[in-house]
Amino acid sequence: MNVALTVVALLVFPGGLFVIAASLAYEYVDRKLVARFQNRVGPRWFQPLADFVKLLVKEEIVPEGVNRGLFNGLPLAALAGALTAALYVPMAGLAPSWGFRGDLIAAVYLLMMMTLCIGLAGANTQDRFSLVGAVRALTQLFSYEAPFLLALLGPAIAAGTWRISEVNGYAREHLWMIVTQPLGFLVAMIGLMGKLELPPFDAPEAETEIVSGALTEYSGRGLAFFRLGRDIELLIGLTLISAFYLGGLGNPLHFLLKTLALLALTAGLQSLFARLRIDQTVGLWWRAGAVLALVQLLVLIVLKYLGVQL
Amino acid sequence: MSAPMFSRIQETLGPLAACRISTDTRMDIETSPERLLPAVTAFRALNWGFLSAITGLDTLGAAASQPGAVAPPAAGATPGASPAPSDGHVDVLYHFCQGPSIATFRVRVPREHPSVPSIGAVVPSAVLFERELSEMLGVEVAGLPKGKRQFLSDDWPQGVHPLRKDFSIEAATPVADSAPAVGSDEAPGTFIVPIGPQHPALKEPGHFEFAVDGEIVTGASVRLGYVHRGIEKGAEDRSWVQALYLVERICGICSHIHATAYTLGVEALAGMVVPPRAQAIRTIVCELERIHSHLLWLGVAAHEAGFDTLFMYSWRDRETVMDLLEQLTGNRVNYSVNLLGGVKYDIDAAAADSIRRGLDFLEGRSKHYLKIVTTDESFLRRTRNVGTISREKSERLGTVGPTARASGVTIDLRAAAPYAAYGEFPITPVVDKRCDQEARFVVRVKELFECFRLIRQILDRMPPGDLSLPAPRKVAEGEVISRVEAPRGELFYYLRSTGGVKPDRVKVRTPSLCNWAAVVNVVVGQKLADVPVILAGIDPCFSCNDRSLTLRRRGRAGSESVEAWSWEDLRAHGLRYYGGGRT
Repeated sequence: MNVALTVVALLVFPGGLFVIAASLAYEYVDRKLVARFQNRVGPRWFQPLADFVKLLVKEEIVPEGVNRGLFNGLPLAALAGALTAALYVPMAGLAPSWGFRGDLIAAVYLLMMMTLCIGLAGANTQDRFSLVGAVRALTQLFSYEAPFLLALLGPAIAAGTWRISEVNGYAREHLWMIVTQPLGFLVAMIGLMGKLELPPFDAPEAETEIVSGALTEYSGRGLAFFRLGRDIELLIGLTLISAFYLGGLGNPLHFLLKTLALLALTAGLQSLFARLRIDQTVGLWWRAGAVLALVQLLVLIVLKYLGVQL
Repeated sequence: MSAPMFSRIQETLGPLAACRISTDTRMDIETSPERLLPAVTAFRALNWGFLSAITGLDTLGAAASQPGAVAPPAAGATPGASPAPSDGHVDVLYHFCQGPSIATFRVRVPREHPSVPSIGAVVPSAVLFERELSEMLGVEVAGLPKGKRQFLSDDWPQGVHPLRKDFSIEAATPVADSAPAVGSDEAPGTFIVPIGPQHPALKEPGHFEFAVDGEIVTGASVRLGYVHRGIEKGAEDRSWVQALYLVERICGICSHIHATAYTLGVEALAGMVVPPRAQAIRTIVCELERIHSHLLWLGVAAHEAGFDTLFMYSWRDRETVMDLLEQLTGNRVNYSVNLLGGVKYDIDAAAADSIRRGLDFLEGRSKHYLKIVTTDESFLRRTRNVGTISREKSERLGTVGPTARASGVTIDLRAAAPYAAYGEFPITPVVDKRCDQEARFVVRVKELFECFRLIRQILDRMPPGDLSLPAPRKVAEGEVISRVEAPRGELFYYLRSTGGVKPDRVKVRTPSLCNWAAVVNVVVGQKLADVPVILAGIDPCFSCNDRSLTLRRRGRAGSESVEAWSWEDLRAHGLRYYGGGRT
């Protein structure tokens, strides 16, 4: 591949700047929708960008007793992981910039880096709220990543490939997998919300108990990067789920319609429920989420073995 | 109805104390520090009433004018009951209440080295009251667990007690090297999660330390006093009328109920019979205030459980009642409705109509909220069987108000001891036997319906007549206890007059202070995530708790030039700050 094109793909489109701009726009839509559901006015369109810029220029306070390298490095690692993962998904409905056999697994692991970094960031400080938040974030990681991964494997097994672009292609030519694998879709959606610590799965950052959870001690640039990373993860998660379950992504219009529909769904779910306690969160997943995903997977494998065309 | 009970108390306590039944609802029990504990123990065995408040009185300069109604009984009473008028004493009053009846233990101790035994072993809820007594009046409470200060700030000098009559502001210069309040007594091996003084879960400052093992709370402590404003002391230095406006500012949510308790007390002391229309208007504002307070609580409590949608909706609807209050009185917070002897504002037909319209809207919304708090699956996961306070525990720890009623205790002064217009327009207490957080939601939302019904009834049968009568400048000698049902529970005022233009003592015991003991007791063993929910369950009001004293410092904190600001300094500063030096 041409070097200049590679650089553009990495830094401008579809990676880099485009992903950042799009994820900020999606954050706006999410916040605005939740606000309207709650009968509030909500932010103006540029508010996520304004927040980001404001955090960047704010003084970054490094608390006593932390490993400075880790404290400064973890937000960068989290953001880098999210940005890298964006290269493997059909961003904006176009073919992924990069891809290899098994890139689905790589993308899921890159997405997991975020939670891992947040957990480490919390455990790195001596703050009580951060420590409790870190324990909760890592507990939640163990209960959400597995079902989320299993839910993404369903379509992959149906397509017979672990390459995101090929699953996307398969999905475009077949019946929407939300119809054939409804359980998997449900698990994937709720898994994504749990992964991103969106309400009602926001126990790791429950403000009325532990202020801001693992990120309590972050103030300026670090917080900005963590927040941006989370926005990008939301965008990637929505892209993956709509590519796999909503009939694939073939062009930017498909992308926009399908991901925004999913975003509206998450916004609705965010405003419907009271926050789950961490024990309820974990219990829900190991008792319901993981089991549902496994059942879905088993059915798929058996059908596949019997030679049923999905 | 209480007379036979009073006689029984008299028989039981005969050898230990001198009992005196002053009215059909008041009984005074004179005893000595040595006999207090046996007397209270024998009294508790009768299973009558709960400890409502402990009042400390410094009689310096006022000892000669002991109110006649409560004069110590004749010879043979407790030693030290005949004071030398010159030097005065400290009187400690333990008020036990049941329905409209009040039994008061009175203990007299010398001003130098006063000491009373702690009754915390017999009455667990006494501990906070005793700590307040020891900090504010310097009465040593023997047997009280050593602990950090509860009300006074940490840099308050030792041995200076603001509610003593000879207290001077010069004596209260902050101590420079005081021990920090926070995080100082963590035992090794325990992990303490501090909540407060500043924390997103708290809308007002308070400090809690929760020892946790994983997510399970294993210990809890509370520290109050961050918003002390010197109101009790300040009231002693103002006229009867001025003090009304001061007590109205004790709380921003239930300002009217404070003013009502105070005016009802002063009117009783002065022997005024207030026109029925004024009482009816007071009652309507009381109930409107209860609606606003309960809706506010509903939102806050839902927010603590992470249910922000309910928070936003209930606060939006609360604006309806705030608008009504503003329309009636011109203010959203300190309505200033009460006068000594009546009310300021009338409710005419147009105002009554808009109140009715507002209530119709709110009634529909409240039905919706009742449905949510009893049927929403995700919300019930956070409230059902969470923070259960059993009926026995509730009674033993002396909880009041909706917190007690949600534990199946029928305690509501509007029904038990009707004041203002509640005698003519009775209410039915809302009680729920489930004892958990859900019950606290149900009780408060159902109380809203009782408020709507009562207000409509009063509006339909509004008594005609005057709004107020002139109040005397001086109030006759005597003491009075005024108890009313605030949105959070029983509000207790003790007023004492020496016949002058100023009150001699204004003692306020707010409902939140009664409910702390239950909270600190019940959170142990619960999950950390449920702690904010349980805390919110009692609808704590820190400003109400904290009304005693604070200092303003001139110069930057920690600098050399710390000194107290006098009232004149503050006044001059205020004028400079707001008005550019106009006087």
